[in-house]
Amino acid sequence: MASNSDKTSGDLSVTGIHKRYGQVRALADVSLTVAAGEFLTILGPSGSGKTTLLKVVAGFETPDEGDVRVGGRDVTDLDPAQRNIGMVFQNYALFPHLTVERNVAFPLEMRRVPTAEIRTRVAEALALVELTGFEHRLPRQLSGGQQQRVALARAIVFRPTLLLLDEPFGALDRKLRESMQLEVRRLQQRLGLTTLFITHDQEEALVMSDRIAVMDSGRLEQVGRPRDIYEAPQSPLVADFVGESNILSGTVEAAEGAAPAVRLEGGTLIRVAADGAVPAPGARVRVLLRPERLGDAGDDPGAENRIPGTVVESIYLGLSDKYRLRIAGGIELLARMGASRTARRYAEGDAITVGFHAADARIIEVR
Amino acid sequence: MSRDTGMTLTRRTILLAASALAVSAAPTLAQEPPKPRQIVINASGGAQAASLRQSYWADFEKETGIKVVDTSPVDFGKLRAMVDSGNIAWNITEIGGQDGFRVTQMGLAEPLDPKIIDRSKFVPASQAMTHVFSPSSYSTVIAYRSDVFTKGGPKSWADFWDVKKFPGPRSLRNHPVDNLEAALMADGVPKDKLYPLDVDRAFKKLDEIHPHISVWWTTGQQPAQMLIDKEVVLATGWNGRFYGLILDKAPLAIEWEGGILKQGSWIVPKGAKDQYWSMKLLAMMADPKRQAQNAMRLGYSGTNTLSEQYITDDKRPHLPLEPGNLAKQIWLDQEWWTKNGQAMAERWNKWMLSKQ
Amino acid sequence: MSTADATRAGPPAPRSLRVALAERRAALGAFLLTAPGLIFLGLLFAMPLLQLFALSVEGGTTEWYARVFADGLYTTIFLRTFEIALFVTGAALLIGYPVAFFLATTTPTWRAIGFALVMLPFWTSVLVRTYAWMIILGRNGIVNRFLLDYGFIERPMTMLNTRFAVVLGMVHVMLPFMILPLYSAIVRIDPDLARAARGMGASRLKIFQRIYLPLTLHGVVAGVTLVFVVSLGFYITPALLGGGKVTMIAMVIEQQVREFLAWNFAGALSVVLLAITLAVFWVLNRWVARRVPPAAGQGR
Repeated sequence: MASNSDKTSGDLSVTGIHKRYGQVRALADVSLTVAAGEFLTILGPSGSGKTTLLKVVAGFETPDEGDVRVGGRDVTDLDPAQRNIGMVFQNYALFPHLTVERNVAFPLEMRRVPTAEIRTRVAEALALVELTGFEHRLPRQLSGGQQQRVALARAIVFRPTLLLLDEPFGALDRKLRESMQLEVRRLQQRLGLTTLFITHDQEEALVMSDRIAVMDSGRLEQVGRPRDIYEAPQSPLVADFVGESNILSGTVEAAEGAAPAVRLEGGTLIRVAADGAVPAPGARVRVLLRPERLGDAGDDPGAENRIPGTVVESIYLGLSDKYRLRIAGGIELLARMGASRTARRYAEGDAITVGFHAADARIIEVR
Repeated sequence: MSRDTGMTLTRRTILLAASALAVSAAPTLAQEPPKPRQIVINASGGAQAASLRQSYWADFEKETGIKVVDTSPVDFGKLRAMVDSGNIAWNITEIGGQDGFRVTQMGLAEPLDPKIIDRSKFVPASQAMTHVFSPSSYSTVIAYRSDVFTKGGPKSWADFWDVKKFPGPRSLRNHPVDNLEAALMADGVPKDKLYPLDVDRAFKKLDEIHPHISVWWTTGQQPAQMLIDKEVVLATGWNGRFYGLILDKAPLAIEWEGGILKQGSWIVPKGAKDQYWSMKLLAMMADPKRQAQNAMRLGYSGTNTLSEQYITDDKRPHLPLEPGNLAKQIWLDQEWWTKNGQAMAERWNKWMLSKQ
Repeated sequence: MSTADATRAGPPAPRSLRVALAERRAALGAFLLTAPGLIFLGLLFAMPLLQLFALSVEGGTTEWYARVFADGLYTTIFLRTFEIALFVTGAALLIGYPVAFFLATTTPTWRAIGFALVMLPFWTSVLVRTYAWMIILGRNGIVNRFLLDYGFIERPMTMLNTRFAVVLGMVHVMLPFMILPLYSAIVRIDPDLARAARGMGASRLKIFQRIYLPLTLHGVVAGVTLVFVVSLGFYITPALLGGGKVTMIAMVIEQQVREFLAWNFAGALSVVLLAITLAVFWVLNRWVARRVPPAAGQGR
């Protein structure tokens, strides 16, 4: 099965998709390519249009403009039944009156695959999701995680060109969710399945994806590798949506030395990353500073920036400590500091000097 | 309520006393049994109830102050259930014209009080009944579209059966009563030799007409409605159902020849409450002037022979007991039907099924 | 209640015993809650039925039953009645399923309008409804007039006063009984199931056959049972629309009660009708129980 799927999986390309519902714009000029065997996640808040995009790809919605190609074939006007796309629904959509075996056999039966072959392929698919022995159970006799696996087996058993996953882990508890995320990812890589994954959970997106496409208000904001999305967001919106962030406003000052400098609104001067085009002095910018890149200045002699401040709030999170600090001009910063044995702990009211590298302060917007 | 209960307990005594008083001296109000708040009369409803109210009940309400409440429909089974259970909701009820004999035989009716109701001038058939009060007569007749048969309609049951001379869809009642008589008359049996009915001969004659009957009617308003809608061009029906339409110049006509007369029949259920007042009300329905009023409204002749004189000439030809019309018709034999009704119904149903 | 107090006051009972007690208490509570309904049903439903049965065997005789089966008459009427009820049920199912499906899947506005139209016959008197059919189907009715005027036919068609008219009139009355249970069954189905099936290559027909039909089977059986059973008892509509040519058992029973006061015989006819109806009901339920796996049991 694994050997076959490499041949069947194809790339997905979506070009210039527009979709309106009455006065509401759901998708505006969305173009996206997913390479064969790639795992791409559409990440966005609810109402961002990600589900509409999924429905357009699956064929449940017809776009007003634009086209959808799967494996090089234009499927824009095809019925979902003819697109050969496997899909796992948010609530699994398992047929409640059919056993696990019959559920998984369904797409094969629809394709008139011979009975004997159906039996072996269903067994293979169930083995892949480690559900051998559950053939004769009904969906309601399974746990949430098991139902999820059945849905997955059913979506891949017919060797689809493309696999769509619509927030499939939403109903699972945290532990199960994390193990399922890894399992699905492993399976996807093993079978080389081109996969389009929909989620609003940024952590999930970071864990699973080859690439992430961040969506908002019907537009694609940024498409890139997880690391790029996290570390080099191209807009405050992406920065804000992916991970925790401090976004600081300031004005560019004449650069002395290697790193350009930005005067924050409170008067503090910081050095920022020099990659990309640095705006001319006087430009008003916004700077992203991830909380986990702020540290105790005393522990990091290499940090170009050292800013004194006061701890306003201190939260114990087990893995790390989270601090709310106030620096000059009343500006608040979030900082996460590791909970290693040597790390110093601060209490509310303590004075602190935080340090960070210029490379970790990125200009994400010029106004 | 307590007053009513007292009434029931001493009903007989009071009735006796009331009759005694009626003989000995003119009763004063104080000596009459207490007045109930209302008298419930169960009847056929519709236009008939409206006419009865105008002709009789309104005056009764005015004179006694007792309200007359009318309900419908006529239901012999319900009557028996009421009498059997002793829970009688009706003070007076109408019954089917063919049930007068049976209701007496089964003991479901109180005898009429001759001291309150004067029937001395009623037609003999109506006088003869001890328990059934009959203020009017009606007849099952042939009705037809006069605009379809412009050269004259059917003049007899034989004509009704003659589908060549009078072509077109027909309707008969889905019931053996009247139809057996009609079939025998159509087959040439003289009117005075009809009873006991030769049932085999009647059904054989009915076989002939069956294919031409497009509707076997169930409810009284169906025949007139179907004639008006031209669903059929010939039908049997109760004469009063066509009366108003004919007076209103609808293209309908009826033929009295071979008409089958029945008596409108009213009874006081056995054991009903406030019988004195029920009898009083029936007495009002015996009044010839009021009967004439009712007859001219509904087309059902009054049974009091004195009512004749109050009928206006334009209405006379349309009433069943007008001497000229009466001579052409026969009276239904209730006794025969009481004895044979159920057997006839089974045979009728079987006959109908055999034709499907 | 005293049991419960004792349990609470004493040392903690073994878990299973506590559970058993709680279950028993819950069962008692459920019984007390349903008691008024049961008494109500008992008085208004079971009692008259018993009386009916008593009437049919009054005097310890079975002669009334013997008469029901004595000659072909009543058995033929029973057969005709079942035939018509079957036609009506079939037609109501064929018409009702798409309507219920539409109601369950359309927008709220259309649903409201659709429901109002479906329920209309409920709010109209039998006679008005029946006369409406007469106006539509009559020799000079709307349909014939239209077909004659446009030259489709030369002589009026006979539609009224036929079995066809009876079935049509009855289907009209019975449709809500079919649509409501079907609607409630369909509306409970997750629309993603149909999407999933479509995505897996199922045609619309297959989606209906393999997904909707089995999942709404309970609703189908509920609707079919309701319509079939209620149809057995019709007598006004068939009498008026059938032109007297259609005889159903309820018409005969009514005649026996009202006209001939033959209550024992009417009782026997009713008991036979009830027995056959219950048998049909039982068979249908057994069939469903076999087709649809029980909620908690194993798949096979």
